[in-house]
Amino acid sequence: MIEYKKQLELQACLDGELPQSEAREISALVARDAEAAALFNELRQTRAAVAAGEPARSLPETREFYWSKISRQIAALEREEAAPPRVSLLARLRNWLAVTAAVAAVALVAFTALRPGAGGLLMETSLRDAGAFTYHDYPSGTTLVWLSYPAAGDNAVAENEGVATVE
Amino acid sequence: MSEKNYSSADDATLARQAQRGDMAAFEELVARHRDKLYARAFSMMRNEEEAIDLSQEAWIKAWQRLAQFQGDSSFGTWATRIVINLCLDQLRKQKRQRSESIEAMDEESGGVERQMPVLTVNPTAGLERAELRARIDAAMAQLTPEHRTVLVLHEFEEMEYKAIAKAVGCSIGTVMSRLFYARRKLAGLLADLRTKNQK
Repeated sequence: MIEYKKQLELQACLDGELPQSEAREISALVARDAEAAALFNELRQTRAAVAAGEPARSLPETREFYWSKISRQIAALEREEAAPPRVSLLARLRNWLAVTAAVAAVALVAFTALRPGAGGLLMETSLRDAGAFTYHDYPSGTTLVWLSYPAAGDNAVAENEGVATVE
Repeated sequence: MSEKNYSSADDATLARQAQRGDMAAFEELVARHRDKLYARAFSMMRNEEEAIDLSQEAWIKAWQRLAQFQGDSSFGTWATRIVINLCLDQLRKQKRQRSESIEAMDEESGGVERQMPVLTVNPTAGLERAELRARIDAAMAQLTPEHRTVLVLHEFEEMEYKAIAKAVGCSIGTVMSRLFYARRKLAGLLADLRTKNQK
């Protein structure tokens, strides 16, 4: 029996895929070996039959119907390309976070600049007494306290209102 | 261009018109080559619905890639290559979903085709063309997608081993092996069909 490698070479020779020197060698094998000749012949007949017998097949749809599906899809794709890009929910969230982060950064910078020891004017207010404000001017060493009675939400009876200065 | 002019224009002219955005010219090209693309898709997939869908997808891709058509090959050949690539993609997806068939394993481990007796009588001799086509079609339907694909690309598309290997994504050796198996199996199937028809 012909070895498998040789069988494949017989086929490659038939298909014109072998270099000339190897093709000559295979042709010589076919000429002297009946088994190789029979296999070569079978492969050749099958190849010829398939090439001549390619099944003819027509689309089972009318030209109009077939084309309408293609043209609709092309139109949809072109509309999609022409439309401005849609922003996804994730992208929107990312944008919102970016803006929020920027605002927070500005606030942080402002806070840092105004903190005690930074050399600027600091305004303080007591959470418990929303009517009292304190101003520190560190360079001049002056503290201004603004008192307003009654404080908002306070039931205090006092109605004094004034400014105290502490040097 | 009028409708009459579209039908009388050659493919190259229509392709140039279509490249400039002329949809009617493209429609004419589709009408001319739609059967060929469908037939090629069917020969690879063996499924009517899939073949229709893949051929339509190929036309949409062809429209999108019209700028790439340089006229090195005919428009029909260029469009057919698009549908072949889509079919190969689809077959790869399907292969991932199914387990290797026994037949495919046979191919790798030394299948029966190597020991099959060589046919001395041509099983298609004397057949009318229509009968020959019917028998080839019936026999090809019984091949595995892998073997059928290589056979279609080699015999119908006249692609060389190297080009098939590149398209399919395998070695030239595998192409040779699959083609050999497909041909020997087909010869046997055609012989069986001949015997059945003689009874």
